[in-house]
Amino acid sequence: MALWGMVIDLDRCTGCESCVLACKAENNVPAVGATEAEKGRVLSWMEVLSERDEENGVTRFIPRPCMHCDDPPCTKVCPVYATYRNPQGIVAQIYGRCIGCRFCMAACPYNAKFFNWYPYQKEAPNQNPDVSLRPKGVVEKCTFCHHRLQKARENAAAEKREVAPGEYNTACAESCPAQAITFGDLSDPTSEVARLAKSPRAFRLEAALGTHPKVIYLTEGEGRG
Amino acid sequence: MSAQAAAAPPQDRLVTFFHYVIGCTPVLFIGGIIVWVAHLIRTSLRLHDVQSAAIGISLVAIPVFITLMSVLLYVLWGIIRAGREPS
Amino acid sequence: MAEFVMNPADEVLLDPIRKTGAGFWFALAGLLTMVGFGAVAYLTQFVNGLGATGLHEPVSWGFYVTNFVFFIGISHAGTLISAILRLSKAEWRRPVTRMAEVITCMVLLVGGGQILIDLGRPDRLLNVIQYGRYQSPLLWDATSISAYLTASTVYLYLPMIPDIAILRDRTTKYNFLYRVLALGWRGTQKQQKILNRAITIMMVVVIPIAVSVHTVVSFVFSMTLQPMWHSTIFGPYFVVGAIFSGIGALIIAMLIFRKAYKLESYLKPIHFQYLGQLLLVMSLLWFYFTFAEYLTAYYGGEPEEMKVFFSKFTGDFRWEFWSMVGCNFIIPMACLTSLKKNPIPRVLTASIFIVIGMWLERFIIVVPTLSNPRLPFRLGSYMPTWVEWGEFTGSLGVFALFYLLFTKFFPVISIWEIHEGRHEGVEEVMHRVKSYLPDDAEHAPPPQQQPVAIAAKAVVP
Repeated sequence: MALWGMVIDLDRCTGCESCVLACKAENNVPAVGATEAEKGRVLSWMEVLSERDEENGVTRFIPRPCMHCDDPPCTKVCPVYATYRNPQGIVAQIYGRCIGCRFCMAACPYNAKFFNWYPYQKEAPNQNPDVSLRPKGVVEKCTFCHHRLQKARENAAAEKREVAPGEYNTACAESCPAQAITFGDLSDPTSEVARLAKSPRAFRLEAALGTHPKVIYLTEGEGRG
Repeated sequence: MSAQAAAAPPQDRLVTFFHYVIGCTPVLFIGGIIVWVAHLIRTSLRLHDVQSAAIGISLVAIPVFITLMSVLLYVLWGIIRAGREPS
Repeated sequence: MAEFVMNPADEVLLDPIRKTGAGFWFALAGLLTMVGFGAVAYLTQFVNGLGATGLHEPVSWGFYVTNFVFFIGISHAGTLISAILRLSKAEWRRPVTRMAEVITCMVLLVGGGQILIDLGRPDRLLNVIQYGRYQSPLLWDATSISAYLTASTVYLYLPMIPDIAILRDRTTKYNFLYRVLALGWRGTQKQQKILNRAITIMMVVVIPIAVSVHTVVSFVFSMTLQPMWHSTIFGPYFVVGAIFSGIGALIIAMLIFRKAYKLESYLKPIHFQYLGQLLLVMSLLWFYFTFAEYLTAYYGGEPEEMKVFFSKFTGDFRWEFWSMVGCNFIIPMACLTSLKKNPIPRVLTASIFIVIGMWLERFIIVVPTLSNPRLPFRLGSYMPTWVEWGEFTGSLGVFALFYLLFTKFFPVISIWEIHEGRHEGVEEVMHRVKSYLPDDAEHAPPPQQQPVAIAAKAVVP
């Protein structure tokens, strides 16, 4: 059984935010407009968090998708089975069942979940037909481009074979010009992502909370602090 | 109580009807809640999702609701029936 | 069986039902305006979306969740006070219990409604019924609050039955309603026994249910991993805070109706003195829990917790935080420590500040933690809009409206309990106090013979 995860090399990340744009394009994440953005309602499944380190005079960038935790605090508190962890490790969201109570948003330590405060999404040309549009009043978040996995599975089934490694890749990993994001099957010992996850530079955000996130970061190298 | 207000027989029967309705509400309302809790156990079993939470909580909740329903049925029917007896 | 003969003085308790003065119409108009404002606010939100509020990321819970905790908290006054006072056979409870029980039932409806208002998709509410997950504290809330609503409605209705029978026999207004609700009550011994037994069971059953309600409400916060939410003290802390705010609200309601319905001879200064003393005890308890909570956080010094801690003490939320401390501890200490003479103004002042302070306390729990996320997320301060203020106003209006309408149909002081107090209470208390004293006190010989008797006892082995 696959276990989908991601490794993000912070040494390579330049903070260019191509991953953010690619994610928005791929997943029909709506632009909320300037007024709403000012109120703090930007929807950004993949978001680049930045932190100014005054001591060393650098700004750090942390691309933060949903961590797809193996012990997700968000799925515990959902009252209606609208968010759940599927057997392949992806924490999924069922837009049609979500009642918009935002408990999962309050429980997520990574602020990975977003809410449709208004009906932001509209039918428009050039949207990705593989990803459903979300109505107002429901929670949404990064899905590890789950629709691409479904497509890969369908192709593989049609050709009567297994899904090939690398056939399923997320939009953010694909688009990163510095190749900082690697995505793949953590349970496959031959995959790139599993190899990088064992790196001595590997760490997880808020590891002490016991959420077991499957987005693993590689620290910046020596000399960068 | 001192002399009751005289009422026409049809009104009396309507009042009696409503007494029976009130007497049945505990079963409908609280019974409904108990059925709902049981349904949630079944759902958690079907979806293989933290069955222990559903069973654990219903082990407390269902007896509480049964107690409330029993007390209500006892008192409502007790008073209605005792009121019909000739004193 | 004793014939119930109503004391002519008690007729004043039936006046609000028989007569309606101008004051009622003014109050009704005012409350309907508040409710109307709330309805417009909610309709705006329902049609347009929760974007009409000031909520955003990261503060995705604000006024509505604060109000939810606040209103459910107030519901603890009634039934808890009524049940505990009945259980401890406190005779001074008699004029208080009905008003307390009504508060609980009415405010529980409003409190439960707050969560519905907070939903992004209220049209999908039935998903909770169909797909509920018991791992979620929200389902614990749903179950617990259902149990409490049922129990408190029963606990309100049962002691009302003899009063409804009084209304059935002595008024012609709404006679059909009273005949139905009185369940054929005639005050026979058998009926009395059944009712007393049921009330006794209910008063014991209702207490753990009430405690569980605000405990599971606190679990909504403490079951998450967020800084200054994930605290083991939340269960008891919330229950204490609930009883605290509830007694304050009860006192305010009692004083309003005391004035409006001329109940001065029933709600006497002594009642407010005792309630004020209870309020003082709860204030001290509240302060103890708050102190323990914040000292623990401060001493541990965990960076993410300290961010939230300092935002409350010196940062964005300092006004709300220190006002809360003033309203909940400093002012009650000042007002409630000497209540012997003229307790009513002091108790009223303390109650008003306490109700405001407890609302601030709920706000201080919900918003600062969300405003200070663990990761360097975007910053943003929560600024409630007119929609949230409107909803708050409307909720208060709905609660007060339900209460006011109740008093127009049913007596706000339990007539038969006052009657019982007059005829049986005094004697029963005398017997009870006598039973506490040593038995020889009753058979003691006159004082001058005493030394001889003692000497004689000393000789006999």
